[in-house]
Amino acid sequence: MEKATVVVIGGGATGLGILRDLSMRGVKTLLVEKNDLVNGASSRYHGLLHSGGRYAVKDQEAAKECIIENQIMRKIGKSCVEPCGGMFTRLDIDDEAYEEAWVKGCADSGIEATPITLDEAFKLEPRLSRRHVKSAYLVPDAAVDGFRMSWQLIDSSKRYGGQLKTYTEVIGFDSVNGELRGVKVRNQFTGEEYEIACDIAVNAAGGWAGFVGKLAGVEIGVQPDKGTLIAFNQRIVNHVVNRLHKSSDGDIFVPHGSITILGTSSMSIPDPEDTSTSREEVESLLKIGEATFEDLRDFRILRTFAGSRPLYIPPGGAVGRSASRGFAIVDHEQDGLKGLFTIVGGKFTTYRLMAEKMCNQICAKLNNTTPCRTAEEPLVEEVSQEDKDRAKKFFPSYGTNLAATRLGVERFKKVVERLENDPESRELVCECENVTRAEVEEICKDDTSFIVNDVRRRTRIGMGTCQGNFCALRAAAVFADTGIESTAKDSLTRMREFLQGRWKGIRPVLLGRTLRETEMTRAIYELSMNVTGGEPQ
Amino acid sequence: MKISDLIVIGGGLAGLMSAAVAASRGKKVTLLTYGSGSLPLASGTIDFLNAEAPDAAIKNLPAHHPYKKIGLKNIDAAAKFFCEVTAQDNLPYNGRLSAQIPVVTAVGTLKYSALVPESMDASRLASKKKIFVAGIKGLKDFYAKMLVDNLKKYFSDKTFEIVNLDLELLGGRDITSMDAAQILTGNEQILADGLKKLNATEDDAIIIPPILGLEGNSSRAEVKPQLRAEIFETTCLPPSPPGIRLQRAFIKYLQKSGVRIFENSKVVRGIFDGKKISGVVVENAVREKIFPARKVILATGGFYSGGITMREFENPKEPIFDIPVFFPMGENNWSNKNLFENRPQGFSMTGIFTNENLNPIDEDGKVLFENLHVVGANLGGSDFIFERSAGGVAISSAYKGAIL
Amino acid sequence: MSDTTKAIFTGDRCLSCTSCMANCPVMAAVKEYRGPKLVAPAHGRMHFSQEDVEATLEFCSNCKSCDRACPSGVAVSTLNMLQRAEYYKKHEHLRSEDMLAHGERMANLIRKIPFGATFSNIGMEFGKALGVFSALGLAGERNMPAYASTPFKDLFGRIKQTPTGKKIVLFTGCYINDNEPQVGEAFVKVFNANGYEVLIDKGFNCCGSPLVVTGFLDEARQHADNNVARILDWKKKGIPVVTPCTSCSLMLKEEYHELFGEHEMHEAAENVYDAFEFLEILQERGEFNENLKPLNQKFLYHVPCHLKSQAIGLPAQNILEEIGGVKVQTADAGCCGISGNYGFRKDKYNISMKIGAKLFERVKRKDFDKVISDCGTCRMQIHHGTEIKPVHPIEILAAAYD
Repeated sequence: MEKATVVVIGGGATGLGILRDLSMRGVKTLLVEKNDLVNGASSRYHGLLHSGGRYAVKDQEAAKECIIENQIMRKIGKSCVEPCGGMFTRLDIDDEAYEEAWVKGCADSGIEATPITLDEAFKLEPRLSRRHVKSAYLVPDAAVDGFRMSWQLIDSSKRYGGQLKTYTEVIGFDSVNGELRGVKVRNQFTGEEYEIACDIAVNAAGGWAGFVGKLAGVEIGVQPDKGTLIAFNQRIVNHVVNRLHKSSDGDIFVPHGSITILGTSSMSIPDPEDTSTSREEVESLLKIGEATFEDLRDFRILRTFAGSRPLYIPPGGAVGRSASRGFAIVDHEQDGLKGLFTIVGGKFTTYRLMAEKMCNQICAKLNNTTPCRTAEEPLVEEVSQEDKDRAKKFFPSYGTNLAATRLGVERFKKVVERLENDPESRELVCECENVTRAEVEEICKDDTSFIVNDVRRRTRIGMGTCQGNFCALRAAAVFADTGIESTAKDSLTRMREFLQGRWKGIRPVLLGRTLRETEMTRAIYELSMNVTGGEPQ
Repeated sequence: MKISDLIVIGGGLAGLMSAAVAASRGKKVTLLTYGSGSLPLASGTIDFLNAEAPDAAIKNLPAHHPYKKIGLKNIDAAAKFFCEVTAQDNLPYNGRLSAQIPVVTAVGTLKYSALVPESMDASRLASKKKIFVAGIKGLKDFYAKMLVDNLKKYFSDKTFEIVNLDLELLGGRDITSMDAAQILTGNEQILADGLKKLNATEDDAIIIPPILGLEGNSSRAEVKPQLRAEIFETTCLPPSPPGIRLQRAFIKYLQKSGVRIFENSKVVRGIFDGKKISGVVVENAVREKIFPARKVILATGGFYSGGITMREFENPKEPIFDIPVFFPMGENNWSNKNLFENRPQGFSMTGIFTNENLNPIDEDGKVLFENLHVVGANLGGSDFIFERSAGGVAISSAYKGAIL
Repeated sequence: MSDTTKAIFTGDRCLSCTSCMANCPVMAAVKEYRGPKLVAPAHGRMHFSQEDVEATLEFCSNCKSCDRACPSGVAVSTLNMLQRAEYYKKHEHLRSEDMLAHGERMANLIRKIPFGATFSNIGMEFGKALGVFSALGLAGERNMPAYASTPFKDLFGRIKQTPTGKKIVLFTGCYINDNEPQVGEAFVKVFNANGYEVLIDKGFNCCGSPLVVTGFLDEARQHADNNVARILDWKKKGIPVVTPCTSCSLMLKEEYHELFGEHEMHEAAENVYDAFEFLEILQERGEFNENLKPLNQKFLYHVPCHLKSQAIGLPAQNILEEIGGVKVQTADAGCCGISGNYGFRKDKYNISMKIGAKLFERVKRKDFDKVISDCGTCRMQIHHGTEIKPVHPIEILAAAYD
């Protein structure tokens, strides 16, 4: 039987943070995730690394945590954080008194908020509404890539012996006399069921924490809260642009690599699996967003997506946006199951701090006195400028830096070798996001790449302008050549699955140029490739 | 500006076909295009309907379907005329409306179509014993292994062999099928030599990506006689040589017939004279220009080509003449849960409704403009992609629009 | 988006459809160029990621076939030119680029030498023979255009015109001013015949097209600002600015605004006309002088790319066919390949000739009396590729007013 001291359930930021922290403290830890990594709120969010400005009025405790963790993340996560800076803008329709309170709140929380003139603001953000924006401040917000961060957490954990199983769902717990013995899991592809023995299990399943709790017979107050976001085709903003008002829906724009994300709505939902989005949600986001950027509807929308925040509801507590963004750790020994913990709630920006607190409790149980070092040690080593410069001649222009931050030192080296030795591998599989075949092949080979969507999340293929029109065929074919035999060989299914993944986010925004793009998708795949709803005739 | 007998707006297949038909009947035709049309993206095959016998299936379509307004006689005549145009550019097409021809796609599925370029007609594939699939070094977008894995599902009894040819394509940008076709033009022997080495016999077939030139059949004519086995071209990702060949064949026909083609000409509105259109207005960077006409054909395409636009939900527009656009209301009718489903997509059914003469009509069925005919993908009521009729509707509606 | 016609805002409209690739003459001629889609809109999204330059950007000739192929209105070639200018912010220009960009400056320099123009023409031949051309990075195979001993601006004063109430300003453009003043003379004759007095404005600079394509964007901006201010002055007086050079008119009408996005550029553009565009408007108003002498000639018309981009139809064909016995047949053979100064560069010469091959073949069929084309460098390229010397269509029209 497989064994680990600790099994972490859930491959979101919190779970991955725990895996890394425990592994660094020398605890043998295995993480199981029923899907691919960051399938919940940790990638389906706006990607904002909060300065804390957003909480400066409502919750200064959270604001202080944010600014501290923000600074730590910038230091340890250079390859996944984009230090673009943030801007708060108050519009003519917003409350002036709030601005005052906010300035004070920032000062009290240790967040540097620098007032700038409107001229400066329009120079920094030329597309801002000149009609509506009345005042502006700069704050140390940043953008963070949830996909990249998760893989870098894994890379870091693996260096310390941490282990990972994706597409492995927890189906039950094994306990004897109120003491946890192991976790029962199922492989999502093969259906194989087996047990992993452990002393401690951590339920870090986010929006699913309640379901996992049920498997152990414990009640957990978690309310999945759906947040819907819109991804635009280009960088509309250079900074994170926040509305300076009482936090609300649709008031944050985050520049994310080549795109911009507008978010977020907030809606309580019964099922965390429900990441559907509707036309109505899109309309309401656009309506709010166009107050800050008047020409918003003229920008090409790529897609919409939603994630469910796991809001912790203490008995009798509030729900929705007014619910706490704080987090809770529950030791289920109090419920009669020794060895099971649940950590729930919180926010992406403070995942590390949450993990540290969780791990401190676990280590206390294990009599492990090694201190937490996750705030000091960088997640991954950065690819040196020298290596990047050397690799430049094999990469497409504008391709080296992004590939280096995606791949990390070791894989980057392997990709460069491929590019150097096999000129054909320099082809771009994805022309929109500038991804070479060498990189796609390298990631296809990885033992966690089971479907083309897994490759997408790690390379950004299919996430740009054409949303898979060209790369779906290429990626499915490359995957068939180099991927995991059991799943890769059915290339048509993989290709359809990939396009269907794109479709899910496109469907609610099927208007304007997004609609044009979709007609092209259909013309290529249905007319030229005869891809149909069922099996080929 | 001199008056044209016919102004065609749109340079896609439907626009080119309308202009060709009218010019062949001695009309003075002006073609206004904005963008190069969707033919460079298209497979080059002309699908009429997804049915074993498209002509029989057309008879069973509901009355609102454009085919019913065009009539089988015109559909037949359109197919015939189309084949004459392509034949003039030495681009022979095979097929007829009563049967379907298989074509091998780039992913190894078979696609069926009524009119197929001779170079893609895979009818005789079934009678072959061994199938070679030629991967080409340095050619992007052609993945022999994927193609074979999928094609085997249709032909489990056959032997497949993947071969790799070096046509000296490497050493520049990523090479598409279009680039390879361009590079091979006038340089076909390297391909012929590579294929001859396979020693394939009459019992064999060789499948290659569509790289046999960009003009007519001339590259194929260089290679084919040197081989005992038959060669078949597949479809491909855009830019697509078979689509480009078709576009060029039509443009040459139009040039020969004296059709005036004005590129980059975005028509923004019409000039009206009661229920008639007396001209169209082209807007350039600084001013407008009027092109007078006795008759106008609107062949601006559907959503893809911008013939119909939709900036806000539930509000699709025909941007030139502001003709009413019919569309399925409500989010759930607008699209299906899955991208590929065994039923049409609502949004693709969006379009203009017409009378028997392809004149646009309003909600009450009243004709809006007597000398305006709507052809091709901006016709509403059917999902031409789902029903695999895009090419057939384009050429046959164009034909009818032009002869009226 | 304060102004959606500014090129940088148009990249967002790209659907990645590859129409531009299917219509790019440079891609068809060489496999090095990565093509308009990738280099302009696709890379444009990635500029944020690192300081870089797409090396094959240098292959773009700015013929604008991509812009015309685009179904979505992306100003692909202008995006390329903006990016090229970025490159030269950090890289030195080659001497050849400097020379080619500043034809205006060179012409002035040559004329300062006594008998300069005559000598320069000989000198160019000598220079070629001695390999100086090649050392400068210019295509040794080419003849530099011969310089007229008197530029048109100076010649202009000698032309007798009857003052009338109707006036236009002739924007001569460098090539007509320095190399083919007879086109300017023909222009004056044609406009006089139509009741217009022709003025010129010695304060105009080169339109800036050669500067833009060689990455001297700041200098081009200075030219634009100067020219726009002057055009607006003329506009205030109600006097249109007309040019027989299609690259100049495209620059003045469209590219200034695409490149720099100032509102005044668009305002000025409204006062600028291509010569035959203007004549066709006169014809539509019934004001065109139809008292034309029959010529009984057949012309092969090479339509310049930069005319096709203007969306004004083919006014020269339309007007010339008013002349008795005249038949104008379009060449329909694509881009001539020279694209301004592109084909003059040593490393681009072969590409330029390869692109032009189809046109040369067509011209060599010689089933016409003369070749006509509105663009000076197109005429040069056809002459070079076929040894048949084309003329500007306005020269034909002028002959019909004899």
